[in-house]
Amino acid sequence: MLEAINLTKKYEDGLLAIDHISFKIEAGEIFCMFGANGAGKTTTINLFLNFIPPTEGSALIEGIDVDKEPLKSKDYISFVSENVMLYGNFSAFQNINYFAKLAGKRNLTKKDYAKVLKRVGLQEEAFDMRTKNFSKGMQQKLGIAIAIIKDAPNIILDEPTSGLDPKSGQQFLELLLELREQGKSIFMSSHDIFRARYIADRVGFMMKGKLVMMQTKEELVGQDLNKLYIEYMHEHSN
Amino acid sequence: MLRDIIAKEIQDTIMSPKFVFTFLLCTILILLSVYTGINNYQAEQKEYSAAVALNKKNLESQPTYQNLAGIGTKINRPPQVLSTIVNGIQEAVGRVATINIAFDPSMIESKYSSSPIFAVFGALDLTFIVKIVLSLFAILFTYDAIVGEKERGTLKLALSNKVPKDRLILGKAIGGFISLLIPLIIPLVLGLLILLIYPNISLSGDDWVRLCIIGILFLLYLSVFFTLGLFISARTTKSSTSFLILLFVWVTFVTIIPKAAIMTAAQINPIPSVHEITAQKDAYLQEIQKEAIVEQRQYFKDNPRPEKAEEIAKWNEDLKKWAEDFQQRLTSKIDERNAAIERDYQAKMRGQQKLAVNLSRISPASALMFGTMNLARTGIIEHERFLNSVKNYKPIFTKWINAKMMRSLNLGGGEQPKPELDDMPQHEFIPERLGDSIKRMLPDLMLMILLIIVFFMGAYISFIRYDVR
Repeated sequence: MLEAINLTKKYEDGLLAIDHISFKIEAGEIFCMFGANGAGKTTTINLFLNFIPPTEGSALIEGIDVDKEPLKSKDYISFVSENVMLYGNFSAFQNINYFAKLAGKRNLTKKDYAKVLKRVGLQEEAFDMRTKNFSKGMQQKLGIAIAIIKDAPNIILDEPTSGLDPKSGQQFLELLLELREQGKSIFMSSHDIFRARYIADRVGFMMKGKLVMMQTKEELVGQDLNKLYIEYMHEHSN
Repeated sequence: MLRDIIAKEIQDTIMSPKFVFTFLLCTILILLSVYTGINNYQAEQKEYSAAVALNKKNLESQPTYQNLAGIGTKINRPPQVLSTIVNGIQEAVGRVATINIAFDPSMIESKYSSSPIFAVFGALDLTFIVKIVLSLFAILFTYDAIVGEKERGTLKLALSNKVPKDRLILGKAIGGFISLLIPLIIPLVLGLLILLIYPNISLSGDDWVRLCIIGILFLLYLSVFFTLGLFISARTTKSSTSFLILLFVWVTFVTIIPKAAIMTAAQINPIPSVHEITAQKDAYLQEIQKEAIVEQRQYFKDNPRPEKAEEIAKWNEDLKKWAEDFQQRLTSKIDERNAAIERDYQAKMRGQQKLAVNLSRISPASALMFGTMNLARTGIIEHERFLNSVKNYKPIFTKWINAKMMRSLNLGGGEQPKPELDDMPQHEFIPERLGDSIKRMLPDLMLMILLIIVFFMGAYISFIRYDVR
């Protein structure tokens, strides 16, 4: 479970990046956050990962305040970054092995890694390849595999589909649905309204640090999400 | 977890092209420098033996003590076996000093003066390789240690796990340093093995201890640049900026500070030139010569040559005694005065040198040079010690030659006796003891340790506060 309570971030230069946002993502729920560049999506993620401290409010992971107990909270979160490049001299196996160990998964075998790598759609011949020769999409798949291998109850994804081709994008969405079935809470920031609307249980629009709209899948039935997004952006920019 | 981070750092570096390049270059350069050092040392040993034999032959071939006093004896500085590793200043300073009654001894015939081409680029010894090449590699290994991970996104990924930042920086530092040591240690051990098995190179237990401490200084020096790299990498947000800053600091440390320190010391603490000192000595010599002529005239006025043949022999004997005493007094006076001028000059020069050394020690490159040269006995201090031993020997030699010369005077004419060298006093030089060398290089060692602590603490604190986004 992920929860933001009145979460606020104001930088030293006075910029209010996040302005008192609150939401809760339950187990087995996918929450997609949309917004233009600089709207505050990544800042929200950074607050959940304790990369920056909040000015006000709290970010909770499984009820643990990340600002108060950052290390403990990280046991319950997996993260997929946008455009992660990983260690280029390492193979996919070596990369996943290193991050699995950092995640405390010490007893996993090469078979376990191979299973996850296959699951994210990485070709078998790429498992032993140096990742510096990987395409952007392959890197992204490996990043997702690293998040999956941790097997944390919550997953945060920052623009995960940005490097993926249509087929890989579709595979990725199916994977997210599988993870939801396993009971994971998934928070995803994205620009990709078209893809995300099919999997999201809830969507939120962010603008200038504010969560300006939040609707459930049911509330969105019959609505054009793309149109809705543009309307909201237009309305709140005036 | 720490072990995993260390292992990853080592593995990541070893698999990188920069490691292969560094390893190959280090192996070639280190082995080449040891081989060149051994060859130079053997050539110097041969030259030294030949020069000593030639001097002995030359002395023995002199027909009279007067001739011997005129040409004097030559003192050759024996080569140091550790010059194979640390060449020091020995090729820039003279290797031979001539001792005669007329002039103050000074070291002449340096390798650079006889073959100026060697002075253009200096010697390719192991210290040079560590000082220039390996310190650059240390920078190359660390400039992107932190900032590079940030750029790749792996830092965020790592810290999204239960990884304390202090453990991560410690793991990176240990792993990175081990990776840097691998291309250094393997060729170094090979180089030492060559040194061990090479014929005519004998290292005493004392030399091995010196070598070990030189090795420790090398490691500390590389650690300074390694921790500096970590520090700058944890202070910047772009790896290109980190590299440029490190390059600037490297140039400042390695080339600018040592030279600027010498120039600054010369400005703060000026000393008279060698020509001024020589002019002072010459002026006194002329003064003494004038006095000597007056005293000689007075002696002959007071002691005219007797007319009677039976008194001439006694007169001759008295004259010889007086002449010996006169000569001894004259040379003692000149020596004492010259020694006083020299003492004053040396004190001023030492003051300037001390200031230059202390100023330049801000740079780890200077600390490395001074420390290793002191240990290898190829530096300024050992050169001065040798020169002082030669200067101390001069009055001993002149006293002996004056006595021999005056006693062998045959005022009645006829052949003078051929010099006998059995009782000629020999020059002795005891190289600096290990304990004294260690004491002398301790400030350099401490300074490097201090820099490592400062840079590592800087890197540690910066990383704890580092914005990983």
